[in-house]
Amino acid sequence: MHSTSKTLILWPLTVLCLAARVTGQEVFDEKLSLRTLQDGKVESTFTFTTLLKGTLPRDPRTLDEEDLSQHYKLFPLALGQILREYAITELHLNINAGNWNYDRWGYPEEKGVGTGAELWAWLGDGATKTVDERWRGLRNALAGLFCASLGSLDELRTTSPAETFTPEGTLPTWGDSLSHQLRHASLPSEHVCTENLTPFLKLLPCKSLSGIATLLNPHRLFDADWHGMGVHVLWREEQGIEMRLTFQSVSDPLRSGLHKKPDWSMQSLFDRTITRTCPVARTSEIMVLLPQNAAYHIRPEPSSVSGSVALYDVASVEKPLNVDLLFHESLTYPLEYRSDSVPFTVRRVLLGSTQTHGQLSVTITNQKPYTVQALYLETMPWLVQFYLHTLQAKVDGVTQDGIISNITYIPPVAHSRPTTFQVLLTLPAQTTVHITMDVTKAFLRYTEHLPDAQRGWDLPPAVFTPLEVGPLNLNDTNVGQKAEEKRRIYTSTLLVDLATPDFSMPYNVIIFTCSVVAFIFGNVFNLLTRRFVVVRLEEDKGKKE
Amino acid sequence: MEKTDQEQVAPEQQLTGAKKILSKLKQLVRPTGNVHEQRLRRKMKLTSLITRRLTLIKTAMFVIGYLWMVLLPVPQLGRGTFVDENALQPGQVNTQWNWGDVHAADLYLGQLEQMRDVNYTSERRAEWFKEQFSKLGISASTQNYHFQTSAANMTGTNAYAVISSPRNPGAEAMVISASWLSIIDEGAGTVNIRGVSMILALAGFLKRYSYWGKDIVLVISDGYLDGMQAWLSAYHTPSQSGLTADRLEIPSGVIWTALNIDYPGHSFSHLGVFFEGLNGRLPNQDLFNSLNRIARYTAGVPVVLYDHLDPREDSAADVSFSRVPSFLYNIQFVKSYLYQARNVLRHFGYQYNGRGSGVHGLFHQFRIDAITLFAVPATGPHGFHALGRTIESTLRTMNNLLERLHASFFFYILKEPTWFLQIGLYLPSAILISAAMMFHGLSIWVDAGWMKDDRSKSNEKSLSKETPAPEPEWKRRQRPVLDVLSIMAATHVVGLILFGIISSRLFISNYKNLGQPLFSILTTAPVMIIMPLASQQMFRKDVARRATILKAFNLCFASTVISIITVLNFSLAALLAILLGVPLVMSSSSLQTELPIRMIKYTAYAFIGLGWLLFAQTQMAQAIWDWQILSVWFAPFVCIVYAPLVLQAGISCLI
Repeated sequence: MHSTSKTLILWPLTVLCLAARVTGQEVFDEKLSLRTLQDGKVESTFTFTTLLKGTLPRDPRTLDEEDLSQHYKLFPLALGQILREYAITELHLNINAGNWNYDRWGYPEEKGVGTGAELWAWLGDGATKTVDERWRGLRNALAGLFCASLGSLDELRTTSPAETFTPEGTLPTWGDSLSHQLRHASLPSEHVCTENLTPFLKLLPCKSLSGIATLLNPHRLFDADWHGMGVHVLWREEQGIEMRLTFQSVSDPLRSGLHKKPDWSMQSLFDRTITRTCPVARTSEIMVLLPQNAAYHIRPEPSSVSGSVALYDVASVEKPLNVDLLFHESLTYPLEYRSDSVPFTVRRVLLGSTQTHGQLSVTITNQKPYTVQALYLETMPWLVQFYLHTLQAKVDGVTQDGIISNITYIPPVAHSRPTTFQVLLTLPAQTTVHITMDVTKAFLRYTEHLPDAQRGWDLPPAVFTPLEVGPLNLNDTNVGQKAEEKRRIYTSTLLVDLATPDFSMPYNVIIFTCSVVAFIFGNVFNLLTRRFVVVRLEEDKGKKE
Repeated sequence: MEKTDQEQVAPEQQLTGAKKILSKLKQLVRPTGNVHEQRLRRKMKLTSLITRRLTLIKTAMFVIGYLWMVLLPVPQLGRGTFVDENALQPGQVNTQWNWGDVHAADLYLGQLEQMRDVNYTSERRAEWFKEQFSKLGISASTQNYHFQTSAANMTGTNAYAVISSPRNPGAEAMVISASWLSIIDEGAGTVNIRGVSMILALAGFLKRYSYWGKDIVLVISDGYLDGMQAWLSAYHTPSQSGLTADRLEIPSGVIWTALNIDYPGHSFSHLGVFFEGLNGRLPNQDLFNSLNRIARYTAGVPVVLYDHLDPREDSAADVSFSRVPSFLYNIQFVKSYLYQARNVLRHFGYQYNGRGSGVHGLFHQFRIDAITLFAVPATGPHGFHALGRTIESTLRTMNNLLERLHASFFFYILKEPTWFLQIGLYLPSAILISAAMMFHGLSIWVDAGWMKDDRSKSNEKSLSKETPAPEPEWKRRQRPVLDVLSIMAATHVVGLILFGIISSRLFISNYKNLGQPLFSILTTAPVMIIMPLASQQMFRKDVARRATILKAFNLCFASTVISIITVLNFSLAALLAILLGVPLVMSSSSLQTELPIRMIKYTAYAFIGLGWLLFAQTQMAQAIWDWQILSVWFAPFVCIVYAPLVLQAGISCLI
């Protein structure tokens, strides 16, 4: 009786809360797409989308006020709290392992494929807490949530290249004076593994118990040639806040060398099959991109086939579901790999074997029959500093003007700020553009050396953003990309050797340094404090000796 | 405090022996009286102690130094090898290389033999290699290169492939390579045919495993040294003068370690290891030690240095030298000594001229630790199977590395595969000689600053009967430093000109004929220039003779050069210690000797310094090639530093 009365008292309160809570209607969709790549490898992309209908990101001006209560059914509260605590409008986190090979694998389904961790967010300005304070809070909170060293994405790595990392959703307009700011940082040495996947799975409404997420088997995913996970939160006008969790992997069915056919099945790729549907998922589908130029056989029968895509509706097909693609003939590796979905290929290397100087060398080959314009962005830690006057562009070995334009350059500040270097490149049709720039390598303070085994310093990938993919009058349907669908192409990361003392021999180092210091100090001290006198030696005494 | 203690003790008169000693010690540690005077006296005593025995000390240092060099191969000297880097964990894996892979290698071998017999051009060959790699699904490419210098004009095509390591950014890499020409007779023409087939077979094998943490770069370089130099240069540097090479299309990461495979014969009995690099650099010994363990315990193949079989283990190699009587040879000590002496001498031979012992040596210039695995040709019992297992396991070990090999394991002389000399055991030999030279030079310099006063001499004569040993009066005299320094600078300039001449296209193309005239010009020119100048020099008692000062400076400079070179290239330093040590000390500056004798002396020095123009012409051409293609500084060093030093000694005999 007593308890009921209490409930009765609480009722109106609850109703009030409901009225003021963040939650709108929540929709969860899951999707897996699989495709066989040119070199027989299989790309699988898991996408889990949760849509909070009719909601807005938190207005940064309300950060001082009590936040609305958060009640979610599907949306992960752990992430929701972080987003609202720091009033994040848009957030993208990618943690990848491996180097995406654009030539062989084409353009990835999820574009954030840079090696290591990459975090970028759009935050509204105008709060009592500055954008940088909130950014620091965000990366520390995410570090805790995903068990990743995102906390080290500090001021040494944070830049704001707003032209390359344009918002994928919409930025709300809260007021006239309120602007949004971008914060971007990447940590190439971060590796994704099981400890990151477990918290990732916890964000899903069905965890990995049912639905497509069942296939996320760490034992197989982390044996793949490439794998990466992503968390994307953005706001779509008239729809609401969308959270997209993605997991991509590239596995090699031919790796063992026992088979010559690039056959795969869910069992062989993930060592699991789908036995149950996730009950809260609105849609749950598996898309298989069917091979174009090879004879194949797919089991079980897809729910529908549209063009070259076979579609399985997990809810309706018979379970356990184990999609199996069998090829009739063994794969002959092509001698040249060419991808239509990528306008150009990029290779970036750091030449020079000395510990003081080097040369950054970027080779871009435009295979398309038209001129391509692209933004080239380097967000380099201060460890490597550019000599901008040595920037040189050669087209097929001949120096040519007009390749590089619109240089944006924010020089580094030693020990604190990274370089932001962005240029607009004009890549003539079917040519190789070679860009070189001399760099100097920093000399570190001894406390700045990492405490662990010294393999060198990882430098983040450069990012290329093709702006105009060909003239519009060309009658190629593939060419006309939508303007909002800006693609980013990541180069591989670099490893730079800086002058490093041999830390494995601290004893020797200490002895040597101390001896030298003692020797110098002793001499100098002696000279400074000694009183010089004339000593007369008596001759006879000398003779006796 | 001190004094009161002594005062208290002194009157007691019953000091025990121990107490006496104690008080003496106290006196020594905290002396009474004028401390400064005592210190000065002590210093003077010490100085006179050394200066009085300087000749003895110098001689002892020379003798010990040279003796030490002779004793380097004594089997007891040194210590056993050990693996220092814990991360390496050599031989801890189960190898997967099996007979199927051997079969693959055999198939490649068959095709390669056909190609060799049909005499494919290097371009076509490289294309074929690229195709084979691509067929395995590995990114591959070719690189054309062309060296155009006065000593060389070479063209070729390298083929290379990169196995991207799964899940890794490809920022680190390790290299397995094989040059088309084998190390036998330094790339004289034997084709490294099984080495190359091994690389192709390894490509198909290595890509099957997902545990690689570093990219694996497979390089089949054209020629012997030139191909790999072109490849490495393009990989690491923006450009090299004299080289036009294609840019590498498939970049990879930072290379820490590399293995070069050389398997020219049909089968092999031992795995020989070559390790000397360019400019006297050695690879980290851990790499060699790991390989040694892996070959012995994983593949069961004995490892030897170079192609020297151990006479104590292999009866085939147990042949006495013709000069050594057999009863002497059969003494275990002598046998071991001779074997180790052979290894040490071979090592010296590879190291002193900075050329290194093979393709692996080129890697060292970019801080990459590399060795060559040489399958010593024999009728058996090993083949692809054992070699494959060794390479696989070694790659796994290299893959374990978390950081570059370090730990100062770069200074050693390997006397046996499992026995080496640490730096502390060989370095003093050359240092002692160089120190002795420095002492000699300094003593000459000091002596030159003083002269006996004539007046005192006359006094001496008159008073000789009264005072049997009067102190001779010493007077300071001038030392012509500037003159001597100009002479020295002039010789080095002559050296520079000499280097310019011999590296010119005109000379290199005709060095056999031009060597002799150049030698004659260079040896007579100083005589022509110096002699008139020398005769002009007035004999003045109050100025030290130029020849003396020249000798002093010459010795000091030579000593400094040797000391510095010891840590860069010990073999070269040892050679310099032998060539410069005693000869430079022997140069005399006495005017009493007849001119013909002095001329003979000068000629002898000219032969020591420049004799290579007459007697080592091919080596000279080779050294120029090394300098132009591989940046080995031996040739400029000999011309600009060594030859002038010897000439200076010669000139000091003349003037």
